[in-house]
Amino acid sequence: MTAFLIANMAPLMFAALVVFLLLGYPVAFALAANGIVFGLLGIELGLLSPALFGALPERIWGVMSNDTLLAVPFFTFMGLILERSGMAEDLLETIGQLFGAVRGGLAYAVVFVGALLAATTGVVAASVISMGLISLPIMLRYGYDRRFAAGTIAASGTLAQIIPPSLVLIIMADQLGRSVGDMYAGAFIPGIILAGLYASYTLLVSFVKPTWVPALPPEARTMREPDGTTGNRSLLVLFVLSTVVAIAVWHLYYNPYKPEAGTDVRLVVCVSAGTAVAFLAAVVNKLTGMGLLSRLAERVVFVLIPPLALIFLVLGTIFLGVATPTEGGAMGALGALVMAVGRRRLNWKLLRQSMDTTAKLTTFVVFILIGARVFSLTFYGVEGHKWVEHLLSALPGGQMGFLIVVNILVFVLAFFLDFFELAFIIIPLLAPVADKLGIDLIWFGVLLAVNMQTSFMHPPFGFALFYLRSVAPAKEYTDKVTGKRMAPVTTGQIYWGAVPYVVIQLIMVSLVIAFPQMVMVYKDDAPINDPSKVEIQIPSNYTPRDPVAPGKDGAVPGPAADPLEQAIQDQENADKAGDALQDDFKQN
Amino acid sequence: MKALLALSRAIDTLNDRIGRAVYWLVLVAVLISAGNAIVRKAFDMSSNAYLEIQWYLFSAVFLLCAGYTLLKNEHIRIDVIAGRFSRRTQTWIDVLGTIFFLLPLVALILYESVPWFLRTWQSQEVSPSAGGLILWPAKILLPIGFSLLGLQGLSELIKRIAFLQGLIPDPGEKQVAKTAEEELAEEILRARGDKA
Repeated sequence: MTAFLIANMAPLMFAALVVFLLLGYPVAFALAANGIVFGLLGIELGLLSPALFGALPERIWGVMSNDTLLAVPFFTFMGLILERSGMAEDLLETIGQLFGAVRGGLAYAVVFVGALLAATTGVVAASVISMGLISLPIMLRYGYDRRFAAGTIAASGTLAQIIPPSLVLIIMADQLGRSVGDMYAGAFIPGIILAGLYASYTLLVSFVKPTWVPALPPEARTMREPDGTTGNRSLLVLFVLSTVVAIAVWHLYYNPYKPEAGTDVRLVVCVSAGTAVAFLAAVVNKLTGMGLLSRLAERVVFVLIPPLALIFLVLGTIFLGVATPTEGGAMGALGALVMAVGRRRLNWKLLRQSMDTTAKLTTFVVFILIGARVFSLTFYGVEGHKWVEHLLSALPGGQMGFLIVVNILVFVLAFFLDFFELAFIIIPLLAPVADKLGIDLIWFGVLLAVNMQTSFMHPPFGFALFYLRSVAPAKEYTDKVTGKRMAPVTTGQIYWGAVPYVVIQLIMVSLVIAFPQMVMVYKDDAPINDPSKVEIQIPSNYTPRDPVAPGKDGAVPGPAADPLEQAIQDQENADKAGDALQDDFKQN
Repeated sequence: MKALLALSRAIDTLNDRIGRAVYWLVLVAVLISAGNAIVRKAFDMSSNAYLEIQWYLFSAVFLLCAGYTLLKNEHIRIDVIAGRFSRRTQTWIDVLGTIFFLLPLVALILYESVPWFLRTWQSQEVSPSAGGLILWPAKILLPIGFSLLGLQGLSELIKRIAFLQGLIPDPGEKQVAKTAEEELAEEILRARGDKA
C-alpha cells in the first residue's frame, strides 16, 4: 500500500484534484487543500521534507509583488467604467446605419464593433449584453435568421478574449513566464484574422442563404442628408483621404527615414495620423458649419474617435514601447473615467460598483493563483511535472503530435472549465513540455487562447451564450417600430447559432498552427524600454523572469546536500514554466 | 446557536465594512500608476517607491477583500456537476469544504506567515531596490488577510449549519441585489426608452 502510494503520488494527486474541484467548493481553496493533504501525506511517507510548507509565505509574496498581475484590476476597472459610458451603444447604432443597407450589413457591424470593443474593454459580458440589447432586436425586426443573429453576437463578444488588451493574455503571459507586451503583439494579428473569418462567414451566408441576412429597407436608414441622399459618398471621400495620409506616412516617412521601425509601431503611428486627419476635418466641419461632410460622415468620425483614442492610449503606447502593460492599463482606466465624466455617465454609484466588482474579481483570480501555487508546491515535490512531461513527451509526432493532443484536450476541458481554471491549472503543467519540444511559448499561448475562447461559446455552459440568453427576448413581444408581434428567441436557437462559430474557432486554431508567422511578428519589434525583450529573442535560453526581487522564490537558499532538500529546492525553482526546464538541465 | 449566529452577523458586518473601504484602493492604485506613468514620461523622473506602492495597494485589495469576496459568495466554483445537487447537498459540501479545505489552509498560512512577518518587523527590513519601501506593512497583510478569510469561513460555517437546522433562510444565495451585468442591461434599456 505504502509502496503503491509512493510510486503513484502524482497521478493520485491529479485524480484527487479532479474530484475536489467537481465537488463545487470554490476552486481556490479546493486546489490549496489538495496541495496540503498530499503535502502532509508526502511528509508522512518520507517523500517530502517536513519544512515543505515553510516556503508558502514566500510563494504568496511572489504573487503579491507581481507587476504583471497588477494589470488585471486596471483593465477590469477600465472595462467596467467603459461599458457604462454609452460608447458601445453609439457605435452599434451608427455602424449599423452605415453597413445596414448591404446584405448581411448588420452582422458585419456586429463583428466590427465587437472587435473595436474587444480592443478597448475586453469584457465579454458587456459586449454581448450591449449587442444583444441593441443589435439583436433590429436584426430580428428586419428578418435575420435567429440562430445566425444570436451566434454572431455571442461570437463577436468573445473576441474580447483574444484581441489585446485581454485579461486572458495577461494571465497567459504570467503563467508562461513571458512578457505581456510580447503576448499582446503576438495575439494582435490572429485576433484581427479571426474577426475577418467571422465576417467571411457572414459573406458566405449572404451568398448561400441570402434570406438569413437581408439588407435593411431604405426607410430603416434614419441618418440622411436634408436632400435625402445617404451621405455615403462624403464618408468614402473622407475615408480615402485618411487612408492616403496613413499610407503616405508609411512610405514617405518610415521607409526613407526610419526603415528599422517594426510593423506594429508603424501601424500605430500611421493609423493615428489618418484618424487625426479625419477628426480634424469633422471638427472643422462642425465648427464652421460648412457642410463639407455629410451628417453620416461626421457622425461616424465622432463615434469612432473615443474607441480609437483609447486603443491608442492603451495598445498604442504599449506597442510603441512608451508604457508597460500595467501603465497602459492604468492610463486606459483613467481615460475611461475621463470619457465617462465627459458623457455625464459617471456617478458615485457607478464608481463604487465598478471598484467593488474589480476588487472581487481581482480577489478570486489571485486566490486561484495562490491555491494553484500551494498545489504546485506539493505537485512538483512529488515530481508531478515529470509525470506530466513523461505522459506528453511520449506522444508520437513530436511538436505537431503534442500540439494536436493538447488542443483537443483544452477544447474538451473548455466545455467544463472556464478560462481562469484552465489557465492556472493546465497551463503550468503543459508549458515546460511545450518548451522542451522547442515550441515558442508566445505562439503556444496565443494558440491556447484562441482555443479557450470556445469555452465562452460551448453550449450549455458558455458564458457568452448565458449573457445573450439573459438579454434576448424570452417571450413573445411587440416590435416597437413595426408594431408586429415577434416570436421569442429560444435557447436552442442561441445554442445552434454558436455552433458554426465554434467550428470557425477550430479552423483558426489550425491556421495558427499552420502559420506561426502571424504570431511570430512579435519578435521583429521589441519595444525599447523592456529589458526582458533581450532574453526573449533567444528562444530556449532561460533567465529568471524577474531578476529584481531576490529571494522571491528561493525560500530554501544555498546548496542542499540531501535529496529531500534538493527536491524542495527543485519545486521552488520549478514553479515557473521556464525554470522547470533549467532544473532538468541541471540534473541531466 | 443564537450566540453563534450573532457572532456570524458581527463577522459579516466587519468584512462588509472592510471590503467596502478597501475597494477604494483600486481607484487609488489607478491614479498613482497613471500619474507615475505620466510623470515618468513627461519629466523623466520616477521613484521605485511609486512602483512598489502600487503592488502594496494591489496586495491590500486582494488580501483584505478575501473575506469580503467569500461573504459575497464570489470565489468561483466549478458547478458543472455540483449545480445539479439539491441545495441541502450543496450546503453540506460547503460545510465540509469549509472544515476540511478552507480552515486548514487558513491555519497553515497563519502558522507560517506570522513568524515570517515578525522577522521582517524586528529587522525593519527595507526593499532592496533603490528608494524602496519598508517591507513589513506589506508582509503583515498576509496574516491579516487570511485571518479575515478564516473569520468569514467561520461565519459561513455557522450560517450553513443554521440553514441545515432550518433556523435561517438559505445563505448560499448571492447577496447582491443586482449584478453588474443586470445594471448594464437596465441602463441601456433606460437610455433607449428615452430616445424612442
